[in-house]
Amino acid sequence: MSTPKDNHDETSNGNGEASNGDGELYGVLAEFDTPGELVTAARKVKDAGYTEFDCFSPFPVHGIDPAMGVKRTILPLVIFGGGFTGALGGLALQWYCNAHAWTWNISGKPTWSIPANIPIAYECGILLAVLTSFFGMWAANKLPQVWHPFFRQERFGRVTDDSFFIGIHASDERFDHARTKKLLEDAGAIAIDDCHRENDPARKTMPKWITAFIIASTAFALIPFAIAAKARTSKSSEPHIHIFPDMDFQPKYKSDTAMDLFPDDRENRGDIEGTVARGWLEEDDLFYRGLVPGDNGTQWTTGFPATYPDGEKFAVDDKLLERGQKRFNIYCTPCHGYDGRGQGMVPTRAALNGPTWSVRNLVDPTSVVATMPNGQLFNTISNGFNTMLGYAAQIPHADRWAIVAYVRALQRAQNATAEDRPDQRTP
Amino acid sequence: MSALVKSLHPDEKITAGKLGSSMMKAGVGLAVVFLGLSLVLVLARGTAEAGHASKWARFFYAYVVGWCFIATIPIGMLWIILLHFLVRGRWVTVVRRICEAMTGSFLLVWIAGLVFVVPVVAGYQDLYYWATPDAHDAALNPVLQHKLGWLSPGFFFIRYIAYGAIYVGLSSYFAKKSREQDESGDPKITDHLRKVAGPGMIVYAFVTAFVGFDVLMSLAPKWYSTIFGVTFWGSGCVGAFSALALIVLWVQRSGRLVHSVTEEHYHDIGKWMFAFTFFWAYVQFSQFMLQWYGNMPDETIWYKYRMFGDWQWVSIAMLVGFWAFPFVFLMSRWTKRIVPSLVFFAVWQLVFHWLDLYWNAMPQFDWYQPGNGLNAGPLAGNLALHHVGFDPVDITVWIGLIGVLLAGIGGHLKGNLIPVKDPTLGLSLGHEQL
Amino acid sequence: MSTAAAEAHPHEPGKAREAFRAVTRDVAWVAEAPKPHKAWLVALAISILAFAWGIYSIYKLLWTGIGVWGNSNTVAWAWDITNFVWWIGIGHAGTLISAVLYLTRQTWRVSINRSAEAMTIFAVMAAGLFPLLHTGRPWFAWWMIPLPNDMGSMWPQFRSPLMWDVFAVTTYLTTSVLFWYMGMVPDLATFRDRCVAQGKNIRAIIYGVLALGWRGSARHWHRYERAYLILAGLATPLVFSVHSVVSFDFATSQNPGWHTTIFPPYFVAGAIYSGFAMVMTLLLPLRYLFNLKHIIKQEHVVAMCRVMMGTGMMVSFAYLTEFFIAWYSGNPFEGFTFLNRCFGPFWWVWWLMMFAGNVVVPQFFWSKWVKNNNVLIWILCIVVNIGMWGERFAIIGVSLSRSFLPSNWSYYSPTRYDVGVFVGTIGMFLMLFLLFFRFAPVIAISEVKGASPEAHAGGPSIGGHH
Repeated sequence: MSTPKDNHDETSNGNGEASNGDGELYGVLAEFDTPGELVTAARKVKDAGYTEFDCFSPFPVHGIDPAMGVKRTILPLVIFGGGFTGALGGLALQWYCNAHAWTWNISGKPTWSIPANIPIAYECGILLAVLTSFFGMWAANKLPQVWHPFFRQERFGRVTDDSFFIGIHASDERFDHARTKKLLEDAGAIAIDDCHRENDPARKTMPKWITAFIIASTAFALIPFAIAAKARTSKSSEPHIHIFPDMDFQPKYKSDTAMDLFPDDRENRGDIEGTVARGWLEEDDLFYRGLVPGDNGTQWTTGFPATYPDGEKFAVDDKLLERGQKRFNIYCTPCHGYDGRGQGMVPTRAALNGPTWSVRNLVDPTSVVATMPNGQLFNTISNGFNTMLGYAAQIPHADRWAIVAYVRALQRAQNATAEDRPDQRTP
Repeated sequence: MSALVKSLHPDEKITAGKLGSSMMKAGVGLAVVFLGLSLVLVLARGTAEAGHASKWARFFYAYVVGWCFIATIPIGMLWIILLHFLVRGRWVTVVRRICEAMTGSFLLVWIAGLVFVVPVVAGYQDLYYWATPDAHDAALNPVLQHKLGWLSPGFFFIRYIAYGAIYVGLSSYFAKKSREQDESGDPKITDHLRKVAGPGMIVYAFVTAFVGFDVLMSLAPKWYSTIFGVTFWGSGCVGAFSALALIVLWVQRSGRLVHSVTEEHYHDIGKWMFAFTFFWAYVQFSQFMLQWYGNMPDETIWYKYRMFGDWQWVSIAMLVGFWAFPFVFLMSRWTKRIVPSLVFFAVWQLVFHWLDLYWNAMPQFDWYQPGNGLNAGPLAGNLALHHVGFDPVDITVWIGLIGVLLAGIGGHLKGNLIPVKDPTLGLSLGHEQL
Repeated sequence: MSTAAAEAHPHEPGKAREAFRAVTRDVAWVAEAPKPHKAWLVALAISILAFAWGIYSIYKLLWTGIGVWGNSNTVAWAWDITNFVWWIGIGHAGTLISAVLYLTRQTWRVSINRSAEAMTIFAVMAAGLFPLLHTGRPWFAWWMIPLPNDMGSMWPQFRSPLMWDVFAVTTYLTTSVLFWYMGMVPDLATFRDRCVAQGKNIRAIIYGVLALGWRGSARHWHRYERAYLILAGLATPLVFSVHSVVSFDFATSQNPGWHTTIFPPYFVAGAIYSGFAMVMTLLLPLRYLFNLKHIIKQEHVVAMCRVMMGTGMMVSFAYLTEFFIAWYSGNPFEGFTFLNRCFGPFWWVWWLMMFAGNVVVPQFFWSKWVKNNNVLIWILCIVVNIGMWGERFAIIGVSLSRSFLPSNWSYYSPTRYDVGVFVGTIGMFLMLFLLFFRFAPVIAISEVKGASPEAHAGGPSIGGHH
């Protein structure tokens, strides 16, 4: 089977019986000199009716597919499907996360903003298509398959260098040792070898150390995932691990925490006995509490303070009323309503659940609010009454007086008569 | 990767004969009939549209759209000629003479364009807002004042002539040298054209961008986009390659070049159609997404007109029709190699290319109107009133101008339809896909 | 490379095979030479030192904080993001050479595509470091993966260009690695078989595992070629989209000089420009030192110069369009930004880097003499890369140093840690590339053979075409 043209090293004899442990015949391997001859020979083999054969070359030979009768692969369709799925998946991911599960208003953009969602959908499509191409191609080729009986032929080692081969498998229906070899010889093969399967059981199985290595490395690779899974599904009373502490642990005490320096274990030391913070003395009874001296100690004032604590004159003018209106609208209208009649939003909504409580009508001339002195009104705003909580914490004293003035104005306005009209009023 | 060389088939019919003149006659006929029809439609119109001074306004807008359509086709063909020489391409040679004939229409196209340019120079104000006295009102349009020197009828006209001269000069130079090579067979001509293609491409790029800026973008003079020249060119090339496919098929139908142009070449023309469809979508998306995302009112107003009201349907039709549908189907090799399918997509893309130009230009028709300098336009507060309203004049002018284009191309379809002595002809004839 | 030559010569026995063997030998020798070239060792040593400096700078950055960089003022993005964009841009040439030149049937790509793809991968790795590090707390980077969590679940903000970057760069890195590896498998098989023949068993096992058992089967080649074509077809829109997405980081904002619609194609053109310059910076010396001049031919170098010229011109076109529209728009901030670039405190960035590198240098390549003078080309390519770095800095740092409010104006100076991280990435890139060059098949052996005239030798019935 060797021809004068054959200029390779040969360790196997012409009949192709290799060295040790030969099993059954796997197939016949023929070497060719040039790509053109390979194509011609492949066509002859196909025309002779063989189907279980393959050609081998160091690069894809032009024209070999039609010569061998290789059918076009459906891989492109699969890849298209992959890409399409990826793109849809990318869109679905963004819709779910940003438009459905937890929507955020980002600079007023719609939560389902297709223009802003396109780049990621596009990249996901391409990524999935690429992964499908890559893994799909290897899977379709059934690779990795690091061992093949043809590798037992030393000559075959040149398939990745400069040689061209046709290998016909013995399992083909038309395979007949002599006739097949003759066909290949006539087709121009420069060398033909028989390939046998490996018989030596020691060489047939994967070496133990490789198996061990694969198992061990897979196990090691899974360790981080196992740790993560355990951490995600278990509770721990330990604090988080701070790999980079940064400024996470600062040598200071935070407000209202435990502090063992003091016998009461508190960081909050409270007010210092016998002291009042500057500006918090609040001596002026009238301004701060609406009280004036009276027959039995103190009584509610019926007027307004004369001055502010800093000495400035207290004027009941439209500036005060405007301020009072603004503050009233902020703090009082939810219950008392804009007209002071007690039909604000809160009682209206509460009434939907049945009669619960009613809010005082501030402007009704028969109500107690119409007749109570200013100081008492001031006190109600500060400290509350019945279900109304006090607003001392939210409204500074000056503003409370402004609200008192506005309530009086509201009472006047809501009970106005024809004589109150501006053109009717005497200056 | 094969590189087969073939020679011209001995029985091949390569001369144009009466082909050019029959195309020219058909073109002239089409132009006369449909432009005449357009004139009748305009004159029969009773009054001008609301907000427009003259009843010719619609005609001129339609004319600008139609003119851009017929201008972008030779622009795209000039590009492939320049590119072919620049990168020492091979497959184009077989159809290059036809491309050259298509670029030969530049002169007639530019003369046809005078129909809308000359009135602007003469003072017509219902086409370009920057030609109106309102534009010069500094209180009404402060942001326009600095560019009215650039956007003035006189300078506009000078630039228009310059663009035309450059296109005509460049294309006729390449065509002339190519025909010279038919006689002399001198391979040095190819080398020379390769050298010229470099600077030629640079000049071409600037001129094309500025044609887009001047003719189309200035219809909305307060709006701007740096990529506009590129979108104009990209959309144009879709149309240009589609037109090439149809014209080459028509030439083959007449019995010429039947052996020379194979399905391999159609496959490549189809590939360029596909590539530019994708490229157009890419640059359009860039323009849209960036202006949408930045949300700056002087830019978004242009898109606001196209995203709400009736125009949104046109926008969606373009997205699906100009991009999605052809993109999916032109991906497969078979749609490009089978003639009926290629014809279908070529016609389809030509229609959508026109629609793209229409979409660029027409919303401005209701937008800038005399007496209203606001960026928003009179209907911005009520976009629902802003109708697309296809007018028959839009179509008749378009078809009439297609006639002008065909007349221009037909006038140059003479002599050899294939560069017989081009050194790359053999490789082009033997061209195959991977 | 025309077949006319092949068809003209009658087949001589063994001549075709001699050509194939020569290709295998010449490329494999680079990996098989017993002692590496001295220049390679010196270069590797320098790159390892640079990388070490980078490691130290990164350690300082992580331990002390972002304040060690110079951008603790209103120029919030400076060297970090400039370097990111620069590296990603460089990576694009590899994909262009692999994918786009494949689709456009430019067979000259086969001599450079393997190295260019490797360059892409290492460049993208270098690039990816910067978005990671510039966050200041990169250990939280995994929050950008949409995993269910115990904060709500709180999901990433997918509408942000910075998230688009994450997806784009990840996809790009994955695709580049897979494409590069796929292309290498037949050549790794070649190395495997050579090692088996030479008795180098450990190497043979390593190459063998990596080669997946490739045996050159025509049926495998068929699917392989289809997948390769499709990957090339996928990589092309990918490479356009990646740098476009990077440009969106800036263009979606409202800053003058950033918010302009031409950024996507302009960035892509600039990326290809700088990428080809880097390919040539690497390959011109290496082809000389490793005797690969007959495979990476001068005509390929000339072609690469032309690509650089073309893309450089596109970049210049974009500059001029930007200047024109900055004036045309009448936006005073836009106009100021461009004047500031040319005449403000960073004027030297514009003139010495952008103008020199991107407008002037491409003009050199008109000359045939320049295109054949490899030393000059090498110097010009370095200037190009400096110019493109300068362009990114001009867009990012210079624009931020003069933003809307004058109270925000500041000047940016890099610290030694800025420089250190950058130099470190250059060192890492070079180190990885040099290692690749020594141990992997640096030229696509099977593709070079397939593109050679001898690939058609031996028969009239070449695929049945006539």
